[in-house]
Parts: sequence; structure tokens; C-alpha cells
Amino acid sequence: MVEADQTHAIEVTINGERQAATVPARQLLVHFIRDTLGLKGTHIGCDTGSCGACSVIIDGKLVKSCMLLAPQADGAEIETVEGLSDGGELSPLQRAFNEQHGLQCGYCTPGVLMAATFLLRRNANPTEAEIRRAIRGNICRCTGYVNMVRSIEAAARATAGSIDAAARASAGIDHKEEEAQ
Amino acid sequence: MLLESVAYARPETVDQALEMLSSTDGAAPLAGGQSLINVLKHRVASIELLVDISRLEELRTVQDRPDGTLEIGACVTYDELEHSEPARAAHAVLADVAGHIEDQQIRNRGTVGGNCCLSDPTNNLPPILVALGATMNIQSAGGVREVPAEEFFEGYFTTAVGEGELLRSITVPPLPAGGGAGYSTVAVGADSKALVRAAAMVRADGQIEDARVVLACVAPAPFRHTGMEGALRGSEATAAAVREASLVIGEDLSPPGDVHASADYRREMARVVARRSVWQAIEQGGGRRG
Repeated sequence: MVEADQTHAIEVTINGERQAATVPARQLLVHFIRDTLGLKGTHIGCDTGSCGACSVIIDGKLVKSCMLLAPQADGAEIETVEGLSDGGELSPLQRAFNEQHGLQCGYCTPGVLMAATFLLRRNANPTEAEIRRAIRGNICRCTGYVNMVRSIEAAARATAGSIDAAARASAGIDHKEEEAQ
Repeated sequence: MLLESVAYARPETVDQALEMLSSTDGAAPLAGGQSLINVLKHRVASIELLVDISRLEELRTVQDRPDGTLEIGACVTYDELEHSEPARAAHAVLADVAGHIEDQQIRNRGTVGGNCCLSDPTNNLPPILVALGATMNIQSAGGVREVPAEEFFEGYFTTAVGEGELLRSITVPPLPAGGGAGYSTVAVGADSKALVRAAAMVRADGQIEDARVVLACVAPAPFRHTGMEGALRGSEATAAAVREASLVIGEDLSPPGDVHASADYRREMARVVARRSVWQAIEQGGGRRG
């Protein structure tokens, strides 16, 4: 029989680094990430699963970390906003948010970046509608969605899009012509 | 937010989970937790032990049988159902419904079984499962019993799942020859809280041979509107005839009225979503006249 307990020894990989800890069964994952691991980039907005500020990627899946208990993440690979940049180097997505001014107050930004990361892994060339649908779970109280969408489009162009464009060019396909059809 | 003190266990088999649920007072199954964690935050239920069933492989598969029957494990997530090839091949409408539940984060965690067992009258999956004639497979220490979806959803937050039982899987039969399915919602915003829903399965060949029309959000549980079904049966498979049949929906409904919509508005919209879902079902089944 499996023991039922109020504290649990868990092990997670967070942004590539293994961490072991004993957590209360009732601890929300977002508190484990922020308070136990000290990664404050993951924000708490509504704490009811509505706003998406606490979004992280667990085992490749975008989730809201205020809607999971820490013991539920035992054994999982967790990615937070801190894991996006490589050393001091911003990821193409972060750079696009910087260049396109994809944020206003910035509070929702870590969650939006994780949502966009999940989207671009699944769909390297999303349409505007697909981008809007992908960030449906992330609320921006400044209502800065237009620039977020632009930023994600720019990131897609800067990464997979450019590979695609190169492939088109080498295949003799004019990008504009195809779009016009 | 600090939750009330609770114990957590992750059994390795469904049998172990059932043993824990039946031997511990205040034990509750935890699947995706996309509603239950909020329940714990609001302290509206006193739960002593959370039995985490979300990783049980036995509950995590979508299988199709040679006859086209689909069996969906209770802990399959909405996102998995949306992208499941067998599910999309057999029931594209069902896969689409799963793909329009709230947002990507919730679809990545929320489970088909959780959506059904919570039995919130505004939930997405119950009406389409009733329309498709699904069977809910409920497991206990004594074995598995089958309950038609039509009888499973008993009312506000209550289902046929009793103490010491778990929803194991949902069996969805294939569409009959000439049959199609449809689904329509009026919601506060895209993919958000529903004001009224309808789901339909219709068999037609120029003329409507059979129809199942299910309304949701307008009663404590989704239900078949036998009046509209009767009006549809035998009528021509045209938009005008479907519209005519939808007019029987009316004073027989006592929908709730709240800040989002009055009871009258919900009643009016029930007719609209009913005819949209029926028409979609006719179009999908290829049985429209002309």
C-alpha cells in the first residue's frame, strides 16, 4: 500500500537542474518554485487559475502552477521563465518582446513568455488567430495584447520562420506571391 | 494561498486507489485538479486525503475498436483528446469540443473524467456525451458497472459515481450510418463560461430518421429534449424544418437567470443553439435535403 502523508519527499528537474525537497502536501507548486527554490520570475496573479501569470512548462506541457500541488510535480521536468535565456543572452522570443515592446507593466510577461514558448514548439509558424488562442489563458491587465501578438509573430519569423523562408528561397518560391494566393 | 491541511497519496494502480478511497474517511480522487484545487483553496469541501489518480496508465489511453467504438480513459486530458487521432477520426465534434475548453493550460491538465465527475451544469463534455449515447464505466472493488451518460449526470455537482467508486472510462459508440453530430454554445466570451449549450446526433437522408437533442446549462443536468426530437423525426432535413422543430422549446424550460443572462434570454438562446447543433449534425452526416 502506498503511504498517504502530509509531507512528501519530491525530486524535480528545474531549468535543467535537479532539486530534492520535502514539501507539505498542501503546498501549491507556485509557492514551491518561488519560496523554496527562490525563482521569483513565476508570478502569482489571481491564485485561482484564471490569469496565467504563474504559467510554467511541466514535462513539455504548459500549466498554471497555482493549480497543482507541489507533490504532483514529483519527478517532473519544470521550465520557468528563468530557463529561457542562455546565460545573459535573451532567447529569440524574449528579444522579440523587447524589440516589439511586448509588455507594459510586465507582471504577466513571464506567464505569456511560457505560453508563447509552448506554442512555438508546437507550431513554429502560427497565424495571428492561433497566437491569440494560445495566450487565451494569460490575462494582461494593461491590455497589451496587440504588441504581445506582434512579438510572438516576430519571434516566429526570427526562428523557424527564417528557416522556412530560406527553404522557400532555395526552392524558388516567392514568399509574397504565395501569401497573396 | 495556503490550503487547509490535507494528506496526499499517489497509488500505482486503480485497485490501490479504490482501496484508499473506500478505506479513508474524507478521501477524494485528484485527477487534473483544475477545479478541485480551487475547491480546496476556497475551503468549501473538507477533504482529508487526496488520492492522485492522474498518472495511472490504465486511465490514460484513448482506444478505438475495429467497429469504431472509442474508449476514453478518465484521466485523458482535454488536450490529449483534442489531438487524439482515433478520437478525431471517430468523433471530430467531440475532439473539437475538448479543444475549446477554456485555455491551453487548463486543457493540458484537465481530464475528461474530471469534467464529467464534477458535473457542473455548464461543463463542456456532458451534453455531447449524452447526445452520442456514451456509456460511463464506473469501477469499484466489486468490478465495473456501466451507466448510460444520459443517467450519469444526476444534477448540480452530482453523478452516478458513489462512494468507493471511480469513473474508469467512457465508451462512445460510432456514429450510425447517415449520422452526424453537432454542438453549439452561447458563452460569455470565447471558450468561457457557457450560458447555454446544445449537442445533437442526427441520422438523416433527405428526411430526418432519428435525432437526439441535448440541452445543457438550462437545468441541473444535461437532458434530451424529447419534444424537439419528436418534432424532428420524420420531417425534411432542411434548415426551415429544423427551425420549425426548435420552436417547441420554450415554456417547458426553467433556466437559471443571473448576472450574465436572464432566464428568458437563456430560453430563447436554447432554441438557437438547438437548431444550430442539429443543422451541424445533419451537415456532418451528409443527410441534408438537396
